[in-house]
Amino acid sequence: MKDVRYFAPTEMAEATQLLARYGDGAAVLAGGTDLVPQLNYYERHPEAIVFIGNLNLGYVKEDDSKLVIGAGTTLAELLASDLVVAHFGILADAISELGTVAIRTTATIGGNIANASPAADTVPPLLVMDADLVLVGPDGERTVALQDFFTGPGETILDTGELISEIHVPLLNGGTSFKKVGMRKAQSCAIAAVAVRIEMDGDTCTDARVALGSMAPTPLRCTTAEDLLKGETLDADLVARCAEAAVGQTKPIDDQRASAWYRIKAGKALIAKALSEAAGLGM
Amino acid sequence: MKETLSFVLNGSPVDVLAAPTETLLDLLREQLGVTGPKRGCDEGDCGTCTVLLDGQPVRSCLTIALTVAGKEITTVEGLADGRKLHPLQKAFHERGAFQCGFCTPGMLMSAKALLDGNPNPTRREIVDHMSGNLCRCGSYEEVIEAIQAVANGEYKE
Amino acid sequence: MTEYVGMSMPRYDGVGQATGRTKYVDDFVLPGMVYVKVLRSPVHKGVIRHLDLSAAENTPGVVGVLSAEDVPGVNLYGAGGDQPVFTPEHIRYKGELIAAVVGVDEDTAMEGVEKIDIQIEEQTPVFDMFEAMKPDAPLVRPDSESNLWEYEPGQTTRVMYIGDVEEGFAQAEHIVEGRYQTGEQDHAPLEPHASVAYLDEAERLAIHTVSQCLYFQLGQLAAIFGLPMSKIRYIGGTVGGGFGGKNHIHADHVAGIAALKFGRPVKYRETRREDLQYSTKRGVFILDYKTGVRDDGTLVANHIKLWHDSGAYGGFSPYGGEKCSMFASGPYHIPNIRTEAQTILTNKAGSSSMRGFTIMNGQFPMEMQLHKIAEETGIDPWELRFINAWRDGDKGVSRYTVRGAGAIEAMKKAADLAGIELPEHLLAMDSRTPPPQRGEAADVVD
Ligand code: FES
Ligand code: FES
Repeated sequence: MKDVRYFAPTEMAEATQLLARYGDGAAVLAGGTDLVPQLNYYERHPEAIVFIGNLNLGYVKEDDSKLVIGAGTTLAELLASDLVVAHFGILADAISELGTVAIRTTATIGGNIANASPAADTVPPLLVMDADLVLVGPDGERTVALQDFFTGPGETILDTGELISEIHVPLLNGGTSFKKVGMRKAQSCAIAAVAVRIEMDGDTCTDARVALGSMAPTPLRCTTAEDLLKGETLDADLVARCAEAAVGQTKPIDDQRASAWYRIKAGKALIAKALSEAAGLGM
Repeated sequence: MKETLSFVLNGSPVDVLAAPTETLLDLLREQLGVTGPKRGCDEGDCGTCTVLLDGQPVRSCLTIALTVAGKEITTVEGLADGRKLHPLQKAFHERGAFQCGFCTPGMLMSAKALLDGNPNPTRREIVDHMSGNLCRCGSYEEVIEAIQAVANGEYKE
Repeated sequence: MTEYVGMSMPRYDGVGQATGRTKYVDDFVLPGMVYVKVLRSPVHKGVIRHLDLSAAENTPGVVGVLSAEDVPGVNLYGAGGDQPVFTPEHIRYKGELIAAVVGVDEDTAMEGVEKIDIQIEEQTPVFDMFEAMKPDAPLVRPDSESNLWEYEPGQTTRVMYIGDVEEGFAQAEHIVEGRYQTGEQDHAPLEPHASVAYLDEAERLAIHTVSQCLYFQLGQLAAIFGLPMSKIRYIGGTVGGGFGGKNHIHADHVAGIAALKFGRPVKYRETRREDLQYSTKRGVFILDYKTGVRDDGTLVANHIKLWHDSGAYGGFSPYGGEKCSMFASGPYHIPNIRTEAQTILTNKAGSSSMRGFTIMNGQFPMEMQLHKIAEETGIDPWELRFINAWRDGDKGVSRYTVRGAGAIEAMKKAADLAGIELPEHLLAMDSRTPPPQRGEAADVVD
């Protein structure tokens, strides 16, 4: 514990070099809301803490029909951003139920993604918007689809030395909805969370995205449900079948927050609600 | 390895050495003897360690001390002006917005942040804003009423 | 003076809380203070086969270590007098204290704890009371014959009775039965358990405690430290919430032993997670009811069997079983009651007192019984409760005479608040006047 080093680089290159140098011994510190409890409770013994809060990664911009979000943007900043509220309401919805004021002041969206918690609330909304991540490492930059980013609970495709620098969110059409159930409204980790985006032509669905949180080892795109929707007329029966298909793709667990049985039940109800809301069905 | 750290605490500059894993709460309580902010959970859940960082509420137990370099920190000790209580302190005291009082330092700082940004909050806004401050004694109703009373101007400076 | 009765007054000490000046135990930071971190059992049940603290002791910044052999007096405490401060050999629950490391700060002490060399032979634990009562169940106390608490030597059931339940059932037109269970619960006060101990100017052991009941604990501590009470300055009064959880010693024993051994001010505090996982809890109750009632709704007999999960040590649980028995028939006059209470040890953190200790665990099932009786007899639930409610002069199962009964008045008030209009004949009742049909409670001769 004693010999931990602390770095607060101001240049991205310096940050990625430090991360590469310390490898698994490096702990990336952004808002700290996930990392610091692990330090306080001696669950992690890093050799170096690399604070990335001085890299100027806090911004939201509109650029070429997409939103460009700096990975260091805090949840409070996102909630206060007119661009986010206007173009990406379900992200604001998800954030307003994430943590609490004092958590949102420091927690960053990059941190919420990079921690790869199956319960990360910002992820399902980003998944249904087909978001991409810009990853920066010592050898340069690459862009990956968010959907390909997670490999397991706490596991991602980030290479040693790599950081998320930006999130790109295409401004796609369609109705959207975010629904979450937790132990209480404030400050609780999702038992199940659902985001959907659905494009309609009259009564017919032309394209759809369904994403779930807390229902599998990683946040999940439910492609079976999406396929069921495309080209079909949306009614109560189809919504129910989609909800069924979507939970069929999940692998929820029993934990102290809820049983797998409850997650399936709640997940199904949330999907149905979110689909109806996004499609403007009065159900 | 400890590093030097300078910041402003309740209006006065502070220069200290802090370890990389030392939280702001550790620094305040153990090194500086500023024990207003309490340790209820050390993992961000209870809110009793809440302080203001450049006017915004943060959990001092989740804040690595070295990251506050150059910033301004306000704790409950910085609320009163000498013996003159801040209106929120007066309202909490007179309206009995606590029993054991262990949650109070955090409640006050969250409430101050709320009223600084939104001087006339609705009840709903108060409840939402304060939802991260737990009170096991169950003084929530009195806390909400005390904040409302301050917003209504019942406790002038 | 009476002009203040019923008035809401600001607290005399409220400014301290509102300014952060009130000193809770963890707020004491003394010069030269050292900090404790503990080694807890990672298993629910087992035997310590090997314990070597030398690597911890040799860690730079570590002041010293503590284990069972460092307890200066008696290594047993708790209301049951059966819990070791540090277990010397047998582990009864996950999280049980085995050793402690004292260092210049918590990080250093923790570094020491992580270096402790320990081998534990793990054994099969038992968590469920009914499993624990089976003849071949693993024994929580290795030196005993069963997991039942002995109220008196050889006596594992605490029986209380008034009247004769069998005679009562013979008069009853209806018999209503039910099994009820209440779960485990943590007190979760916002202030976790903490203690600061040091030797004062008169060589007394001074302890700042979060205790809710200094005089329950002072004697236990004197025995642990091997000191007369006059050598202990036990300073309390400022508690960040307790709810019954701070009736048991959680930190003062360890801090005190360390201060005595090392002669330095010592702080020992549990983390929130330790507090939630390993401190005492409200224990599980299971209760079986058989209630006899006449056609007119008069309760005539109540036979209750109850089982209380004590966790790994006795604590307040045997008393809790008795107290629950006393209250499990609710505030109702029943001439024939029999209760049989058993307290069972399991491999869980010890049970302890918590708000309305063991009372609601009995009152909730009794109210459920009344609910069922109302359905079974077709009698209005208010009526049923009013006609059976205690009046002054009634006797409960432990044969105390009820004085100042208030159930009827409380129900009238509740009905009023709920906007329910009660019929005249119920409103005419009061707790001071015994109903004509309710004679003297049977005099009992053992
Ligand atoms: S101590 Fe910081 S939130 Fe509980
Ligand atoms: S007053 Fe005790 S926790 Fe709030």
